[in-house]
Amino acid sequence: MNVITIENMHKIYHENSTEEFEVLKNINLVVKKNEMVIVSGVSGSGKSTLLSLVAALEKPSSGKIIVLEELVSKLPDIHASKYRAKHIGIIFQNFNLLESLSVETNVMAPLIHSGLTFSQIEEKVQYSMKLASIEHKATQEIRLLSGGEKQRCAIARALVHNPELILCDEPTANLDKENTLKFISLLETLQELGKTIVIATHDPLFDTLTCVSRVIKMENGRIL
Amino acid sequence: MNEILFSNEVIVYLLSETIIYGLLFLSFIVSLGILKSWNYENFNQKQFILENRSYLVESILFFTLILKVFLLPYFVYTIDNLSLLIPGAMCGAGVIEANSYGNPLLILKMIILFLSGLWFSINRLDLQKKSYPYLTIKLWLFVAIFFLLSIEYSLDIAYFTHIATETPVTCCSVLFSQVGGANGLPLGLTLAKLVWLFYLVYILLMLSIFLEKILLSVFTSALFAFIAYYAVVYFFGTYVYQLPTHNCPFCMLQSYYYYVGYLIWGLLFFSVYLIFNYGVMSYFFKTNFQKNKAMILSLLTAFVFVCSAYVILYYVRNGVFL
Repeated sequence: MNVITIENMHKIYHENSTEEFEVLKNINLVVKKNEMVIVSGVSGSGKSTLLSLVAALEKPSSGKIIVLEELVSKLPDIHASKYRAKHIGIIFQNFNLLESLSVETNVMAPLIHSGLTFSQIEEKVQYSMKLASIEHKATQEIRLLSGGEKQRCAIARALVHNPELILCDEPTANLDKENTLKFISLLETLQELGKTIVIATHDPLFDTLTCVSRVIKMENGRIL
Repeated sequence: MNEILFSNEVIVYLLSETIIYGLLFLSFIVSLGILKSWNYENFNQKQFILENRSYLVESILFFTLILKVFLLPYFVYTIDNLSLLIPGAMCGAGVIEANSYGNPLLILKMIILFLSGLWFSINRLDLQKKSYPYLTIKLWLFVAIFFLLSIEYSLDIAYFTHIATETPVTCCSVLFSQVGGANGLPLGLTLAKLVWLFYLVYILLMLSIFLEKILLSVFTSALFAFIAYYAVVYFFGTYVYQLPTHNCPFCMLQSYYYYVGYLIWGLLFFSVYLIFNYGVMSYFFKTNFQKNKAMILSLLTAFVFVCSAYVILYYVRNGVFL
């Protein structure tokens, strides 16, 4: 089963202006269920934009993006957020956590409008924090955490709604070696749980991992 | 320069209408562009630009048409306030009759409001789907509304620039002079027949809504609006004013009558609007009429209750009818 199908997709910034810049050129890509795919390339090669488009945070300039049978490239904005809430977990380079709130509250955030009862939410939050090994810091404010702990909190938040697809944008850029290895170990656990994982990174460590299904190289907006 | 145009309310009103019309004009141009080239099956750059633009146009239309909804009561409030500047005018009735543009303008505003409401419902339905199924319908509806808006804007300008402050107007003074005040009733009705008809049509309307006879509800609601207007002006209104010769739709909007006119006309207008809107949506778009039944029936009943309460309270206090 294809989780991601991309056909003839282009992304142009500042369309029809003097600053027009084609960041992605004729992308064709298929990612199957339970694959762990590494998208590697130097800064500016279009990795993060590709992930944003799959997450429906942006829309392409042309072409098809189908994720879990949902035509993502044409989703109206109001449905794009529902699609993310249902299917996608995103782990950002800078974590994007709410600094003044506790770990537990941050992890809970995606479920606020889920319609679940408080006890159901609580159960999911506890499970997710345990999976990301951050349950011991549940009541701690984010600003008091180390980089590795913030990363684990971000992972717990990305997993709390049990998404089929996990997108990681430079997840280890702000981590030291020890925390990077812990993160990789966690990714292996997620893969065992049946998740499909796409990681955009320029960290060469990922290229050598045994759990990785494929490495896709990007350069100047094209898949090589 | 006409001193009417220096009135605070008129300045605010015309400025708001101008800004709204400007935004709607831009939306109109963009809408035509979208309608010209829209093809959902395309995955090319042009179609993606149109999809982004459609979202922008929808947002502009949503907020500007909401402002238009609020501008109708403000328009009524404005003309009511202008009665202080026009000799002979005691309320909005005199001001609206000050030139030949007033009444067509008021009727046009109500038609636009009904159509805008329909646009909101189609827009809501469209946004619930992922493939823009009703986008072209709602944009064509907007194009039609825009033509009416253009006429309305021209009438707005013509109306406020042609109100003479030197010439006395007639207002409800004419109606005061006609003892009984029922001369203006339509279809040769007497006051008693009008009141009976009011309650009969109300019951028929309630039944048609309750039994979900959609087309019958829509047509009966139009009849009810017509009968209710005359019933309020020529019968229930006299109990609001406690004067059998005072037949005016506008005076009850004034503070002296605790602004009850806004409640009475608002309830009538809103309930008839909902029947029209949900009726059309249910008939053409197969939306669920049933879930809105309770709200419509409550609003209609509230309108009839408020009107009837004035009559009953008057009778309880005085032991006689007017």
